Amino acid sequence: MSPPRLTGALRSFSNVSKKEDFTEHLHDLKTKRLKRRELFAREGLTWQKIVHFCSEDQDKAKRQAANQELKSLLLAAKEIVGPDQGQAAFESAAVFLFETFHNKDHVGTEETRAIKQMFGPFPSSAAEASCACVARLVAPLGESRVENFIQSLCSRHNPQRGSSFGRNIVLSYDCYTLDPLEDLPCSGIDEENVSLDF
Amino acid sequence: MACARVPLDEQQVTEPGPLGREHTLPALHPTRKEDRCFVPYKSPPEDGSPAEVEEFMEHAKFITEDLEWLLTLPHDKFWCQVVFDDSLQRCLDSYLHQAPRGLDLASLPSSPAVADMQRSVHRAVFLTFLRMATHKESKENFLTPAVFGEIIYENFLFDIPKILDLCVLFGKGNSQLLHKMLENIFTQQPSYYSDLDETVPTVLQVFDTILDKCGLHCEGATAMEPMKLNAHKQPTAMAMSQQDLVDLILYLCDSTTTIHAFLDIFPAACSSFHSHGFLSRLTSFYEAAVPELEKAVRKRNFDDKGLQQDLWKRLSHSCRKMVEMAHQLLHHTCLQPILEGGENMQTFADELLQHFTSFFT
Repeated sequence: MSPPRLTGALRSFSNVSKKEDFTEHLHDLKTKRLKRRELFAREGLTWQKIVHFCSEDQDKAKRQAANQELKSLLLAAKEIVGPDQGQAAFESAAVFLFETFHNKDHVGTEETRAIKQMFGPFPSSAAEASCACVARLVAPLGESRVENFIQSLCSRHNPQRGSSFGRNIVLSYDCYTLDPLEDLPCSGIDEENVSLDF
Repeated sequence: MACARVPLDEQQVTEPGPLGREHTLPALHPTRKEDRCFVPYKSPPEDGSPAEVEEFMEHAKFITEDLEWLLTLPHDKFWCQVVFDDSLQRCLDSYLHQAPRGLDLASLPSSPAVADMQRSVHRAVFLTFLRMATHKESKENFLTPAVFGEIIYENFLFDIPKILDLCVLFGKGNSQLLHKMLENIFTQQPSYYSDLDETVPTVLQVFDTILDKCGLHCEGATAMEPMKLNAHKQPTAMAMSQQDLVDLILYLCDSTTTIHAFLDIFPAACSSFHSHGFLSRLTSFYEAAVPELEKAVRKRNFDDKGLQQDLWKRLSHSCRKMVEMAHQLLHHTCLQPILEGGENMQTFADELLQHFTSFFT
């Protein structure tokens, strides 16, 4: 809970700010994750493109192996998003997992956090399985080819660098600190009892 | 993208509509905002339990990502989001409400990762307010000043409590930038001066409340308000609960620091405070409240001596801020006009002497 503040009193007792009940509108994290998944689905990289990329220019045996891995990745994605979602949600999650693990050999803290931010709590076995699937999928394709493929399609990897407002502003993180005039007198002697009658 | 060299508020854009057909609409239009769903800010956990840290990190990551996205938007899209996305305004408000101040009892984040994340949010929030306070970003990207003033005022993008929060959260080390922001806001929208004028009595009321809680009363206040019949039953600073005393001193410390930061960053506000007799009320308050509170902190029996030391420091800090506030007010409302040598120098000199006389009596 916030300590008592002047601005809190001003918001409550003056008529110069918008009166709003914050508890009414709180977006929970579930809604936010849903919104992020929607935005991610619009980002350019699709499941069809991944399927095509992983199976093109491959001989029959390799193509079959790749298809098997793609199926497994989709299953792992289904476990992560939950079975009550539609096929589009599974595919979008599989795309996210492919993008997350294409250059990773294990599920680290960053990856765990990224998946949780997107889908909420998830079974770690599904993350491990998807990481292994992606590793087997990209191994025969070559690191740079996979990287180029993702870079060319995923808008998240091509942010408009240098165009952000205030990028050159040097912000000071200093904050106001206590600046007392004097320390607490050590003894706390009752000064009123000291006689001034000389 | 909207067309150039015309203020944003006069621009029209042609975009594909919901049915795929192109249509023309004002560049500032609610349908042009993205449905982004900004989440509210939560302050870093005090005890640092893993679950709470995780929750903080998650909220903070969403906020920084979203605000960084907002800051990369072109001028027209930025303003559509700012004006029409309520979730963005609630996110920014929640930061101003909840962000830890340097003077809070537990303001230091529990781990370097939390501290780093807090700094990222802090920067993104500040830059967002800075962009909202800028009506002209470039020759091509600007709003008509009067319309800008109207937008920020009518949509409560800034209000007096928010401005005070901005000063106390970002003022230290960024005072020049904040001064420019506030100068632009108050210049383009003079109604903020009227709001400030309306706010000062509430600030005075805060000081009266502190006196009231101590079972005291202020000279200026009694003349205006009838005394409650049960006023004599009010607890004193010596008799109130320890928690009440802690809250009272924290409140005083926050109030004095906030007003001081605001006046320091935006001295033009001094005249509004001055016109409400703030200086004489402040000195009466100091005279009545400080000895009582000092006595209470010194003489009460604290099991936690660290808390006693801390309260003393906060009280002493508040005293310093009140003295400095008096200096600011005297400087900007009396001394400065004398130094500038205007027409009413004698009046200002008389007023200054009157203040000094009242300080000694």
